[in-house]
Amino acid sequence: MMPGHLPLLCLGWCTVLELATSASLHYTIDAERAPTDAQHIARSSSNINRGSDFSDFQRVFFPAAMEQNTPRPIRCKAAVSKAPGQSLEMEEVEVAPPRAHEVRIKVICTSLCHTDLTVWRMKDFPATYPSILGHEAVGVVESVGDHVSEVSVGDTVVPVFLAQCGDCGDCLSRRSNICSNLPPRMTTGMPRDGTTRFSLAATGEPVHNFLSVSSFAEYTVVDVAHVVKVGKHVPPAMACLLSCGVSTGVGAAWKVAAVEAGSTVAVFGLGTVGLAVAQGAKMCGAKRIIGVDLNPDKFEIGKRLGVTDFVNPNDTAEKPVSEVIKEMTGGGADYCFECIGSAPAMAEAFRSSRTGWGKTVILGTDGKAEPVSISSTEIKRGRSVHGALLGGIKPKDDIPVLAQKYLDKELQLDEFVTHETGFDEINGAFELLEQGKCLRCIIWMDGAKAKESSA
Amino acid sequence: MAGQSLPKPIRCKAAVCRASGEPLVVEEIVVDPPRAYEVRIKIVCTSLCHTDITVWRSNVASKFPRIIGHEAFGVVESVGEHVSGFVTGDAVVPTFLGQCDACRSCRSSSPERTTNMCTTLPLSDSLGMRRDGTVRFRDLQGNPLNHCVGVSSFSQYTVVDVNQLVKLGDGVPPKMACLLGCGASTGVGAAWRLAKVEPGSSVAIFGLGTVGLAAVQGAKMCGASKIIGVDLNPDKEEVGKSILLSISSTIYLVASRPPKRQRKGMGVTDFINPSQLGETPVSEVIGAMTGGGVDYSFECIGVPSVMADAFRSTKMGTGMTIILGFNENNEPVALPSLELLHGKRVMGAFFGGIKPKTDIPILAKKCVNNELELERLVTHEVGLQDINTAFDLLLQKKSLRCIIWMVK
Repeated sequence: MMPGHLPLLCLGWCTVLELATSASLHYTIDAERAPTDAQHIARSSSNINRGSDFSDFQRVFFPAAMEQNTPRPIRCKAAVSKAPGQSLEMEEVEVAPPRAHEVRIKVICTSLCHTDLTVWRMKDFPATYPSILGHEAVGVVESVGDHVSEVSVGDTVVPVFLAQCGDCGDCLSRRSNICSNLPPRMTTGMPRDGTTRFSLAATGEPVHNFLSVSSFAEYTVVDVAHVVKVGKHVPPAMACLLSCGVSTGVGAAWKVAAVEAGSTVAVFGLGTVGLAVAQGAKMCGAKRIIGVDLNPDKFEIGKRLGVTDFVNPNDTAEKPVSEVIKEMTGGGADYCFECIGSAPAMAEAFRSSRTGWGKTVILGTDGKAEPVSISSTEIKRGRSVHGALLGGIKPKDDIPVLAQKYLDKELQLDEFVTHETGFDEINGAFELLEQGKCLRCIIWMDGAKAKESSA
Repeated sequence: MAGQSLPKPIRCKAAVCRASGEPLVVEEIVVDPPRAYEVRIKIVCTSLCHTDITVWRSNVASKFPRIIGHEAFGVVESVGEHVSGFVTGDAVVPTFLGQCDACRSCRSSSPERTTNMCTTLPLSDSLGMRRDGTVRFRDLQGNPLNHCVGVSSFSQYTVVDVNQLVKLGDGVPPKMACLLGCGASTGVGAAWRLAKVEPGSSVAIFGLGTVGLAAVQGAKMCGASKIIGVDLNPDKEEVGKSILLSISSTIYLVASRPPKRQRKGMGVTDFINPSQLGETPVSEVIGAMTGGGVDYSFECIGVPSVMADAFRSTKMGTGMTIILGFNENNEPVALPSLELLHGKRVMGAFFGGIKPKTDIPILAKKCVNNELELERLVTHEVGLQDINTAFDLLLQKKSLRCIIWMVK
């Protein structure tokens, strides 16, 4: 019996089975569910910031698309990118049903990550037109395709640009998070067949997807390998953050660098990723977290998230930042993180690391794949350079763990949400990020925010 | 410690480098006694490492005249004050990298923090002894002769800081001990200590000189299942794979072969000559051979574009590149940032990441036990008076290691 065949008239369907036992956040669920049970959803009583849990959303009816057993195309709103750097246009799109190994998700909220901005501005590959951008989000499973048993209709899920198939050598290895069955790529199309599930409702013209997620739409279709189930008691905005930027930063400190207690860390770029690195380093017990940014405003929020010292490259009187950091630390930091995507900053971060064991972690990308220039002799003095996607974490294993760390107050994530807006105002979020005036602006899909605040 | 008279200056022969790139002059010199924390050694044999060529060619005239050489085996002749752990007669290997066992680097033991970059006498191209900067060598006219990395092994006697001296037990063949002073330890150490190659791994080694072939042996010792050797010299394929090293010319026949032992190859399983690939980048060929790239790659030449090739040849998610080659101009290596982002790592080290006093005795034992077969790295042998032949052979790419015996 496939969950996708089950009638969906009421979200009472979407059961929240383990509100109380927040420890059991994993992505396999039991398949035995009577289709006509309408289970009462208890409100979560946990002291979650940013509003309630998902129980309110479950009173929203799904569209009549589900009156028959087979999922049908859904017509909904999407913010479509039609030309480089131009405002997204709201269009009615048709979202095809999920095929095998796919999941259709009703997006609750999404946020803008700088990588969306970078590609949005580009004329050529990896940008494509028209397309639906966005890859940081949280939603509820609306329907599933064949061979999906890991999640069910009604589950709260976070889509992720990085897959975890669970079967390949990389997924089974402790050392890698780069799934080799469904490797990360910048090309559009669903990971298994390369086609898109989106088209313009008016004309039928296909609309490209992005990074296997495409969250700037009310509904999206995502491969199950790219879907992470999270507990319903995780506040949606927090789950959304863990979909990309915050996980990247925290993961980099926690997994890639494995920062030890007492370490000294330098973070280049105090955007969401950089500040998440600071939080991750703090969580690991770093003694000193030096933040490097051209924007002096970043120090205030940086301090709240763990940054202990601040270096503004404009204020060093012509001295290279690496020299300043070496002086501050008696030879260089134990770990340096580049969180911008600038090749010169990557080189400077490397020069700021100490001999013997200095590790530099590269997280940023400029989309153009500029080479990083590293001194061939300096690297021989015991230094190393690592790069990682999504902070080296395995999404399905680690995102729930990070969510729990947030709930246990080991990680402080509320500060990352500096703005909120509705879907219709999504272009405002672009402006804020372009101007460097926000960390994360949460974009609530129509009705979702209103439902939440009226609860 | 001897209660007899204090050590006196010794008159002996040395090969002096009097000018950049000029043949060394074998002449009589005087070697002063060891001062505090120093040990005077009688060198039994030494060998030529490519880094010596780099030093020999230095265009900084003030560095000459100089006694170079840093790979050697010897016997303690006398010790200075405050030296413990060494007595006259001890078999020793001097090393260009020190180990004090007291500084933060030497004491670091957590797996992530292990380093051999001792900070007490940091690696530098110093001209004198490390602690006080003065020299222990004089020519017969009384002119000082500069040291090189605190070893200066192209002399029948030399003076070395105690931090830079490794004691070996008995029974280590002199030629083997000599190679462990630099090249062999660098290669084996890189696979063993730095990369920690796991059984079943795939490995690519760029540059099959002494360091590269030692890395091949190290990877083999660690159980690597695929060892791809990359070299522009087609002769290296046979060297890397075959059971018998092809010797182009031997000055001294090796007097005693090791007793009957199983002849195995050095360990290369696949060979690539990049000059025969046409337009196809070597990283692409390696990617095709290994389903996406090797687990570990080693650069053993010192050329930035090859370092980048080695980096591109590793696989996403887990690939690690180890840079061993020394580039004297400190040229930058360009790492494609997008590949880095896909989970690749690069690290570099001197001396293959080994801690000399800790690891050289372990490696010596592995040689004696035949876990490592490094004698194949010795392709030639000469006496001190023919030391320049060793330079010629290396420059003409006809040798791996040429042992120079210090016959008195």
